[in-house]
Amino acid sequence: MNSIDIQYFAVLRERAGIGRETVQTSAATAGELYDELAARHDFGLPRAMLRVAINDEFADWSRPLAAGDRVVFIPPVAGG
Amino acid sequence: MQAFAFSTVPLEPERHREALAEPSAGGYASFEGWVRDLNEGRAVHRLEYEAFETLAVKEGERIVAEAIQRFGVARAACVHRVGGLGIGELAVWVGVSAVHRGEAFAACRYIIDEVKHRVPIWKKEHYADGDSGWVNCERCAAAAHDPHEGHDHASEEASPVAVTGTATPMDYSRQTALPEVGESGQARLAAASVLVIGAGGLGVPVLQYLTAAGIGRIGVVDGDLVEVSNLHRQPLYGAADLGRPKVAVAAERLRALNPEVQIEAHALHAGPDNVDALVSRYDLVVECTDNFRAKFLVNDAVLRAGKPAVFASVHQYEGQLQVYRPLPHWPCLRCLWPEVPRDGLVGNCAEAGVLGPVPATLGSLQAMQALKRILGLDAGESPSLVMVDLLNLETRRLVARRDPACDHETPGRDRDPGALPLELAFKTLVEAFESGLELVDIRESWERAHDPPGLQIPTHLPLSELVHGHAQFPADGRYLIICAHGVRSLSLTEYLRSQGQSEVYSLRGGLAALRS
Repeated sequence: MNSIDIQYFAVLRERAGIGRETVQTSAATAGELYDELAARHDFGLPRAMLRVAINDEFADWSRPLAAGDRVVFIPPVAGG
Repeated sequence: MQAFAFSTVPLEPERHREALAEPSAGGYASFEGWVRDLNEGRAVHRLEYEAFETLAVKEGERIVAEAIQRFGVARAACVHRVGGLGIGELAVWVGVSAVHRGEAFAACRYIIDEVKHRVPIWKKEHYADGDSGWVNCERCAAAAHDPHEGHDHASEEASPVAVTGTATPMDYSRQTALPEVGESGQARLAAASVLVIGAGGLGVPVLQYLTAAGIGRIGVVDGDLVEVSNLHRQPLYGAADLGRPKVAVAAERLRALNPEVQIEAHALHAGPDNVDALVSRYDLVVECTDNFRAKFLVNDAVLRAGKPAVFASVHQYEGQLQVYRPLPHWPCLRCLWPEVPRDGLVGNCAEAGVLGPVPATLGSLQAMQALKRILGLDAGESPSLVMVDLLNLETRRLVARRDPACDHETPGRDRDPGALPLELAFKTLVEAFESGLELVDIRESWERAHDPPGLQIPTHLPLSELVHGHAQFPADGRYLIICAHGVRSLSLTEYLRSQGQSEVYSLRGGLAALRS
């Protein structure tokens, strides 16, 4: 189990009802982590619509997670 | 005769008029400004006009040339008095000859309005009580285009500008004092041209700061009219502007702010048929729209043109900022978002709500990025997506990289949605009914309740229910999809076409287009 810091933006934050959280997870990759959280928070947004950044860099969904990683899930926004 | 001239002797409209005669001209329109006897309650018995003639003649000639080109008239001219004038005397004359009367009236109006705004002329009033003073009339420029909002002073019609701020050249000393800017930086700004697409919450501060900074030429693209729901976050517009084209109001305000900047108003929505032509005329693009469709359209256009662009978007209390530069390693919008998000999936300002300072902050950041690009102050900047959270006052800069799978070489390739038009335009809802297509209203329930269509549209499928899978768009049949402004309907139409449904169309401009 790794301890991961997570931050949510925009519509994901609304759905989760929180801006950030720290989770203990056995998810091996960013993608697995998203699937786990999407089920818990009922995000309803497919991964393909989002981007993930790990430690302030955009990353692939297949990127392995390490303890202490800072993960940000970013939906695109369009308002103006 | 000269297109624009000053006269120290009384004007002779009959003589000026003759110079405009031309065989092709079927009409002539003129305007005369007379000296009036009252200014803000004070009786005035004569006036003196003074002009900075070299500059004023040049600017006046430019205005007349613009009018001839813009309205396609045959000939036009303007003469302004200088020196002492009594009550009732003719202070300014404008004349236009044209094939048809419509252009003649429009060009005449344009010339006098622009002369009042832009030509440096001062006015000294001599009051009946023996007092006198150079009129300090800052409100003239703001009021010049709108007689209803006008303030009352002597010969308002005749006094072209008399605005302290307009007559004095702009003073950029507070920015040229920066060692990185200096006079050479100011010259770069003056030589630059910027296209601002979208004159809403993001576009307003972008336009204001770029105009104030002295960018040489600014184009503004927006097809919307000022709506009352815009005002809380778009304070360039006021309650008196409701129903007017945004770009027309913006151009007036921006010209009043800095007459040295050439403002070009494009009253249209950026679309596949016009975006390349628009982008080609400017050095840099600032993308300020509120929908994904336009953002990706602009992305592809700047890639094709090899021009830099500054993108931003907001959602409730957050915003995202991204700069594109035409460099081999630089990511574009599609590198970050390979799958184009569908409009309606994440809320726009109407659906999700927004506080004014959020787009204002992101728009100010866009203006800053544009100035940095033009001034060359962004040399050390690497590609990134900057996320700003104004609820927690946090910013986060995420390093972005070019996606090798993204087709920068042929942007927009294979995205041709097919030979059938995506949009259909109708003049009335009745015409749309008679087209034989089934009408589908995809606005949200609250929008429908707040603003019911004039005629019954029985089929109602709110977009939010469609995108979240709570409702299904019917697979068979021929449909015309309708929303408020034609943005969401177009996005849904594109999506349905991509799913193989061929007989779906979007109502161009939405319900708003039927009403205006």
